[in-house]
Amino acid sequence: MTEPMSATTFSWFITIAVGGLGAAWFVYDAINLARSIKLDRADPIVRDRHFGYVMGMLIGVIGVVGVLLFHGVV
Amino acid sequence: MAVAVAQRQVSAWNPANAVTASRFLTLPPFMWAVVHGYHQWATLFMLVCGLLDKADGLVARVFDCRSAFGELFDAITDALCYGFGLVIVAAYGWAPAVPVVLVIALGVANIAMRVVYVRRAGRPTNYKSYAMERLVAYTGYLIGFATSGFEVTYYYWVFPFVMLAILSYDAKRMLVDPIP
Repeated sequence: MTEPMSATTFSWFITIAVGGLGAAWFVYDAINLARSIKLDRADPIVRDRHFGYVMGMLIGVIGVVGVLLFHGVV
Repeated sequence: MAVAVAQRQVSAWNPANAVTASRFLTLPPFMWAVVHGYHQWATLFMLVCGLLDKADGLVARVFDCRSAFGELFDAITDALCYGFGLVIVAAYGWAPAVPVVLVIALGVANIAMRVVYVRRAGRPTNYKSYAMERLVAYTGYLIGFATSGFEVTYYYWVFPFVMLAILSYDAKRMLVDPIP
Protein backbone atom coordinates (compact mmCIF):
# COMPACT_ATOMS: atom_id res chain seq x y z
CA MET A 1 0.00 0.00 0.00
CA THR A 2 1.42 3.39 -0.97
CA GLU A 3 0.19 6.96 -0.69
CA PRO A 4 -1.93 8.10 -3.66
CA MET A 5 0.30 11.03 -4.75
CA SER A 6 3.80 12.45 -4.37
CA ALA A 7 4.61 14.67 -1.37
CA THR A 8 4.92 17.76 -3.59
CA THR A 9 1.60 17.13 -5.36
CA PHE A 10 -0.05 16.51 -2.01
CA SER A 11 1.26 19.76 -0.50
CA TRP A 12 -0.11 21.70 -3.49
CA PHE A 13 -3.39 19.81 -3.27
CA ILE A 14 -3.74 20.92 0.35
CA THR A 15 -2.63 24.46 -0.57
CA ILE A 16 -5.36 24.77 -3.19
CA ALA A 17 -7.97 23.09 -0.99
CA VAL A 18 -7.26 25.35 2.00
CA GLY A 19 -6.23 28.61 0.32
CA GLY A 20 -8.80 28.38 -2.47
CA LEU A 21 -11.65 27.46 -0.18
CA GLY A 22 -10.58 30.02 2.45
CA ALA A 23 -10.55 32.82 -0.13
CA ALA A 24 -13.85 31.68 -1.67
CA TRP A 25 -15.38 31.40 1.79
CA PHE A 26 -14.31 34.96 2.65
CA VAL A 27 -15.86 36.32 -0.56
CA TYR A 28 -19.04 34.21 -0.17
CA ASP A 29 -19.71 35.42 3.38
CA ALA A 30 -18.73 39.02 2.52
CA ILE A 31 -21.42 38.93 -0.20
CA ASN A 32 -23.89 37.36 2.25
CA LEU A 33 -23.14 40.11 4.77
CA ALA A 34 -23.47 42.88 2.18
CA ARG A 35 -26.83 41.48 1.00
CA SER A 36 -28.25 41.19 4.50
CA ILE A 37 -26.78 44.36 6.02
CA LYS A 38 -29.99 46.34 5.46
CA LEU A 39 -32.17 43.83 7.31
CA ASP A 40 -33.55 44.80 10.72
CA ARG A 41 -30.92 44.03 13.37
CA ALA A 42 -33.61 44.08 16.06
CA ASP A 43 -34.47 40.58 14.78
CA PRO A 44 -32.22 38.08 16.65
CA ILE A 45 -32.12 35.76 13.62
CA VAL A 46 -30.67 38.61 11.54
CA ARG A 47 -28.05 39.27 14.24
CA ASP A 48 -27.20 35.52 14.24
CA ARG A 49 -26.74 35.61 10.47
CA HIS A 50 -24.52 38.70 10.59
CA PHE A 51 -22.38 37.19 13.34
CA GLY A 52 -22.12 33.93 11.38
CA TYR A 53 -21.04 35.74 8.21
CA VAL A 54 -18.38 37.73 10.07
CA MET A 55 -17.06 34.53 11.66
CA GLY A 56 -17.07 32.87 8.22
CA MET A 57 -14.96 35.73 6.84
CA LEU A 58 -12.58 35.46 9.81
CA ILE A 59 -12.20 31.70 9.26
CA GLY A 60 -11.51 32.36 5.56
CA VAL A 61 -8.73 34.80 6.52
CA ILE A 62 -7.28 32.28 9.01
CA GLY A 63 -7.20 29.66 6.23
CA VAL A 64 -5.41 31.93 3.76
CA VAL A 65 -2.88 33.16 6.38
CA GLY A 66 -2.02 29.52 7.22
CA VAL A 67 -1.31 28.81 3.55
CA LEU A 68 0.92 31.90 3.32
CA LEU A 69 2.76 30.79 6.47
CA PHE A 70 3.28 27.31 5.04
CA HIS A 71 4.88 28.72 1.89
CA GLY A 72 6.98 31.24 3.85
CA VAL A 73 5.25 34.29 2.35
CA VAL A 74 4.51 35.81 5.77
CA MET B 1 -62.80 30.25 11.29
CA ALA B 2 -59.85 28.19 12.30
CA VAL B 3 -57.87 26.68 9.48
CA ALA B 4 -56.30 23.31 10.16
CA VAL B 5 -52.76 23.15 8.86
CA ALA B 6 -51.58 19.64 8.09
CA GLN B 7 -48.20 18.96 9.66
CA ARG B 8 -46.04 17.07 7.16
CA GLN B 9 -44.41 14.07 8.80
CA VAL B 10 -40.95 13.10 7.54
CA SER B 11 -39.72 9.58 8.30
CA ALA B 12 -36.35 9.30 10.02
CA TRP B 13 -35.53 6.62 7.41
CA ASN B 14 -34.91 9.01 4.52
CA PRO B 15 -32.09 9.48 1.96
CA ALA B 16 -30.60 12.53 3.72
CA ASN B 17 -30.24 10.71 7.03
CA ALA B 18 -28.77 7.72 5.18
CA VAL B 19 -26.06 10.00 3.75
CA THR B 20 -25.46 11.44 7.23
CA ALA B 21 -25.17 7.93 8.72
CA SER B 22 -22.79 6.85 5.93
CA ARG B 23 -20.22 9.31 7.31
CA PHE B 24 -19.50 6.82 10.10
CA LEU B 25 -18.22 4.40 7.42
CA THR B 26 -15.24 6.70 6.80
CA LEU B 27 -14.00 6.37 10.39
CA PRO B 28 -12.60 2.76 10.30
CA PRO B 29 -10.49 3.40 7.15
CA PHE B 30 -9.40 6.77 8.61
CA MET B 31 -8.28 4.99 11.80
CA TRP B 32 -6.49 2.33 9.73
CA ALA B 33 -4.62 5.03 7.75
CA VAL B 34 -3.50 6.86 10.91
CA VAL B 35 -2.39 3.65 12.64
CA HIS B 36 -0.30 2.66 9.60
CA GLY B 37 1.12 6.17 9.08
CA TYR B 38 -0.58 6.88 5.74
CA HIS B 39 -1.00 10.66 6.02
CA GLN B 40 -2.49 11.20 2.57
CA TRP B 41 -5.05 8.40 2.84
CA ALA B 42 -6.09 9.67 6.28
CA THR B 43 -6.56 13.16 4.81
CA LEU B 44 -8.64 11.81 1.92
CA PHE B 45 -10.92 9.73 4.19
CA MET B 46 -11.58 12.79 6.36
CA LEU B 47 -12.20 14.81 3.19
CA VAL B 48 -14.85 12.26 2.13
CA CYS B 49 -16.44 12.57 5.59
CA GLY B 50 -16.56 16.38 5.17
CA LEU B 51 -17.99 16.16 1.64
CA LEU B 52 -20.74 13.80 2.83
CA ASP B 53 -21.58 16.42 5.47
CA LYS B 54 -22.21 18.89 2.65
CA ALA B 55 -24.03 16.26 0.55
CA ASP B 56 -26.65 15.40 3.17
CA GLY B 57 -28.04 18.94 3.14
CA LEU B 58 -28.22 18.85 -0.65
CA VAL B 59 -29.97 15.44 -0.61
CA ALA B 60 -32.45 16.74 1.99
CA ARG B 61 -33.36 19.63 -0.34
CA VAL B 62 -33.56 17.46 -3.47
CA PHE B 63 -35.77 14.79 -1.81
CA ASP B 64 -37.61 17.36 0.32
CA CYS B 65 -36.98 15.40 3.51
CA ARG B 66 -35.69 18.07 5.89
CA SER B 67 -36.68 17.51 9.50
CA ALA B 68 -35.80 18.65 13.03
CA PHE B 69 -34.55 15.12 13.73
CA GLY B 70 -32.35 15.23 10.63
CA GLU B 71 -30.74 18.49 11.77
CA LEU B 72 -30.15 17.07 15.24
CA PHE B 73 -28.75 13.80 13.80
CA ASP B 74 -26.43 15.83 11.55
CA ALA B 75 -25.14 17.86 14.51
CA ILE B 76 -24.58 14.69 16.59
CA THR B 77 -22.78 13.01 13.65
CA ASP B 78 -20.54 16.09 13.25
CA ALA B 79 -19.63 15.94 16.93
CA LEU B 80 -18.93 12.18 16.91
CA CYS B 81 -17.01 12.02 13.61
CA TYR B 82 -14.89 15.12 14.14
CA GLY B 83 -14.46 14.44 17.86
CA PHE B 84 -13.21 10.93 17.02
CA GLY B 85 -10.88 12.31 14.34
CA LEU B 86 -9.40 14.91 16.69
CA VAL B 87 -8.81 12.37 19.47
CA ILE B 88 -7.09 9.97 17.06
CA VAL B 89 -4.71 12.56 15.53
CA ALA B 90 -3.83 13.86 19.00
CA ALA B 91 -3.36 10.33 20.39
CA TYR B 92 -0.93 9.45 17.59
CA GLY B 93 1.02 12.70 18.07
CA TRP B 94 -0.06 14.25 14.75
CA ALA B 95 -1.68 17.23 16.53
CA PRO B 96 -0.93 19.14 19.77
CA ALA B 97 -2.94 17.66 22.64
CA VAL B 98 -3.73 20.86 24.59
CA PRO B 99 -5.81 22.64 21.90
CA VAL B 100 -7.52 19.34 21.08
CA VAL B 101 -8.55 18.95 24.74
CA LEU B 102 -9.78 22.59 24.75
CA VAL B 103 -11.79 22.04 21.55
CA ILE B 104 -13.39 18.84 22.88
CA ALA B 105 -14.22 20.55 26.21
CA LEU B 106 -15.87 23.43 24.33
CA GLY B 107 -17.67 20.90 22.13
CA VAL B 108 -19.08 19.13 25.19
CA ALA B 109 -20.20 22.52 26.58
CA ASN B 110 -21.92 23.21 23.24
CA ILE B 111 -23.78 19.87 23.38
CA ALA B 112 -24.83 20.53 27.00
CA MET B 113 -26.22 23.96 26.06
CA ARG B 114 -28.12 22.43 23.15
CA VAL B 115 -29.71 19.92 25.53
CA VAL B 116 -30.79 22.82 27.78
CA TYR B 117 -32.16 24.62 24.70
CA VAL B 118 -34.24 21.58 23.69
CA ARG B 119 -35.59 21.30 27.26
CA ARG B 120 -36.46 24.99 27.28
CA ALA B 121 -38.23 24.59 23.92
CA GLY B 122 -40.07 21.43 25.10
CA ARG B 123 -39.77 19.83 21.65
CA PRO B 124 -37.04 18.22 19.48
CA THR B 125 -35.40 21.24 17.90
CA ASN B 126 -31.93 22.34 16.93
CA TYR B 127 -30.56 25.82 17.61
CA LYS B 128 -29.35 27.02 14.21
CA SER B 129 -26.01 28.74 14.70
CA TYR B 130 -24.71 30.23 11.45
CA ALA B 131 -21.30 30.78 13.05
CA MET B 132 -21.03 27.25 14.49
CA GLU B 133 -21.95 25.78 11.08
CA ARG B 134 -18.88 27.50 9.68
CA LEU B 135 -16.72 26.41 12.57
CA VAL B 136 -17.75 22.76 12.10
CA ALA B 137 -16.36 22.91 8.55
CA TYR B 138 -13.14 24.34 10.04
CA THR B 139 -13.06 21.35 12.43
CA GLY B 140 -13.04 18.99 9.47
CA TYR B 141 -10.16 20.96 8.03
CA LEU B 142 -8.42 20.87 11.41
CA ILE B 143 -8.14 17.08 11.21
CA GLY B 144 -6.91 17.44 7.62
CA PHE B 145 -4.17 19.85 8.75
CA ALA B 146 -2.95 17.26 11.27
CA THR B 147 -3.00 14.35 8.83
CA SER B 148 -1.20 16.37 6.16
CA GLY B 149 1.24 18.14 8.53
CA PHE B 150 0.08 21.51 7.21
CA GLU B 151 0.84 24.43 9.62
CA VAL B 152 -0.51 22.27 12.44
CA THR B 153 0.55 24.45 15.38
CA TYR B 154 -0.91 27.65 13.90
CA TYR B 155 -4.28 26.20 12.91
CA TYR B 156 -4.72 24.26 16.16
CA TRP B 157 -3.91 27.13 18.49
CA VAL B 158 -6.10 29.68 16.67
CA PHE B 159 -9.11 27.36 16.67
CA PRO B 160 -10.04 27.30 20.43
CA PHE B 161 -10.14 31.12 20.56
CA VAL B 162 -12.51 31.33 17.58
CA MET B 163 -14.64 28.56 19.07
CA LEU B 164 -14.77 30.32 22.44
CA ALA B 165 -15.96 33.56 20.80
CA ILE B 166 -18.72 31.72 18.91
CA LEU B 167 -19.76 29.65 21.91
CA SER B 168 -20.00 32.77 24.10
CA TYR B 169 -22.38 34.36 21.58
CA ASP B 170 -24.42 31.16 21.17
CA ALA B 171 -24.61 30.63 24.96
CA LYS B 172 -26.67 33.78 25.38
CA ARG B 173 -28.96 32.80 22.49
CA MET B 174 -29.48 29.25 23.79
CA LEU B 175 -29.66 29.85 27.54
CA VAL B 176 -31.08 33.36 27.99
CA ASP B 177 -32.90 34.71 24.94
CA PRO B 178 -36.53 33.75 24.22
CA ILE B 179 -36.97 30.70 21.96
CA PRO B 180 -38.70 31.48 18.63
